[in-house]
Amino acid sequence: MLDYKSSSESPTPCNKPTKMSGKNTTNRKTLGRGICIITGASKGFGRALAHEVFHLLEPGSVLLLVARSGTLLQELKEEMQSFTDKQQLVVHCVATDLSTKEGVNETVKVARQEAVNEIDHVFLINNAGSLGDISGFESLTDLEKVNSYLSFNVSSPLALTAGILQVFPCRSGLRWSVVNVSSVFALQALPSWALYCTAKAARKMMFSVLAEEEPNVKVLSYSPGPLDTDMQEEIQRLTGLSYRLFPCQESAAKLMELLLDNNFASGTQVDFLEV
Amino acid sequence: METGQDLGRALCIITGASRGFGQTIARNMSRLVKPGSVLVLVARSGDDLRALQAELAESEAGRVGLVVECVVADLGQPDGLEAVVRRSQESFSEDLDHIILVNNAASLGDVSRYVKSFTNMAEVDSYLSLNVTSSLCLTASILQAFPQCPGLRRTVINITSLCALQPFRSWVLYCTGKAAREMIFRVLAEEEPDLRVLNYSPGEERSLHSSLATDPTIRKSFSDMFAQGQLLTCEESCAKLMKVLLDDNYTSGAHIDIYDL
Repeated sequence: MLDYKSSSESPTPCNKPTKMSGKNTTNRKTLGRGICIITGASKGFGRALAHEVFHLLEPGSVLLLVARSGTLLQELKEEMQSFTDKQQLVVHCVATDLSTKEGVNETVKVARQEAVNEIDHVFLINNAGSLGDISGFESLTDLEKVNSYLSFNVSSPLALTAGILQVFPCRSGLRWSVVNVSSVFALQALPSWALYCTAKAARKMMFSVLAEEEPNVKVLSYSPGPLDTDMQEEIQRLTGLSYRLFPCQESAAKLMELLLDNNFASGTQVDFLEV
Repeated sequence: METGQDLGRALCIITGASRGFGQTIARNMSRLVKPGSVLVLVARSGDDLRALQAELAESEAGRVGLVVECVVADLGQPDGLEAVVRRSQESFSEDLDHIILVNNAASLGDVSRYVKSFTNMAEVDSYLSLNVTSSLCLTASILQAFPQCPGLRRTVINITSLCALQPFRSWVLYCTGKAAREMIFRVLAEEEPDLRVLNYSPGEERSLHSSLATDPTIRKSFSDMFAQGQLLTCEESCAKLMKVLLDDNYTSGAHIDIYDL
């Protein structure tokens, strides 16, 4: 867990690698005074991200936690409360269904309400996602089932990212970071996993196009590795396979480190298991 | 059957067959399948399909026994998809030895708009439905209707693009759709080793790209030009596709690009 310091370096421009400051490790980089939006924040990797990120946000920052479960989001907010109150961080729980346009619009609306505050960093983490049917190709004959899956896993993050980009247009002095929670299976085909692989490949491409279009937006596709989440429990139950899982916290911390170091090229994919 | 000379006695389903590359594929296929073969041509435009059907009926292939069926269908609708499967099943006979499915139907999307403009989820859903979902569900349905069995070759073709591999600014829907589709067929290739899966890139994006480089203001009309098949180097590209199929030594699931051949 990184210590929070009240003074920090000024936010670095998106595309320049940050210089490390030599032997003294007293430089504590932060994510600035930001608005940070995390989807799928109620459980698993999203929840771990929330726990990592609030230490790195400066006073006046806003954290939007988005998921369907208002109860779980509220619990999460309370877990962070003593710190967030002390450090003047505002936390909003947005209990909504991102598989619907109403859910996406609601999230954008809450973000827009916060746009009045002076911020120097917009930080969007597209984490919400689902496994889909992994029983095999021939079970994928149903148009509605496939449309519904792609809508939640592809259309929704595109529309949300677009909406937030509209609320906070790029301008000098505003740092913009987008994370796409990706997977090795955005790049690698896995038998029986057509839906999951397809959506992850689609997302990887979508965010790569964004990186091409917006030089002021730093885009990272982050493959978090196999984590101890409900999704992995489901996978192991369905497949009968058992393999090592990493704690969400560890992968979330690694993602934060990558973002603070800012040494990656916008649009690339970085894998937890390889850094 | 002599390998390399023809594609056998085939049932060949081609989506987006009414114009452009799909139409060219239909004509080329008709010349490479043996008498008694069936082409099932699918598109939303009945008039264009029937004109092609008539043309093929009068062609040499038609005169020696090629059967050409038309299915006017919207593959984004369950009844459209079912109609294609049903007609294919009805057209099948035991003496056919090759099922070929060509997933060609696609749309360009608006290539003048950036990611930040796609705030409307329904618009993205609609694009993915036509370009991704329909090809996945049609393929799954056809494979279910024609399961693996001895003596029956099965080939699935996906018309892909360099845009499946490389991002291009202002082309988010097209690139995303192509990347998604290509992955579908890569997974299929991994999952079904007896199936021949060809991700063929006909090189359309280069003519798109070079035209855009000269005149960015014509982006908006590109969707129409694409739909009309005016941007594709159809004959040459299709000839190479046919050769790849006849040679039949491509790696199933791999991205085969015309410019690498």
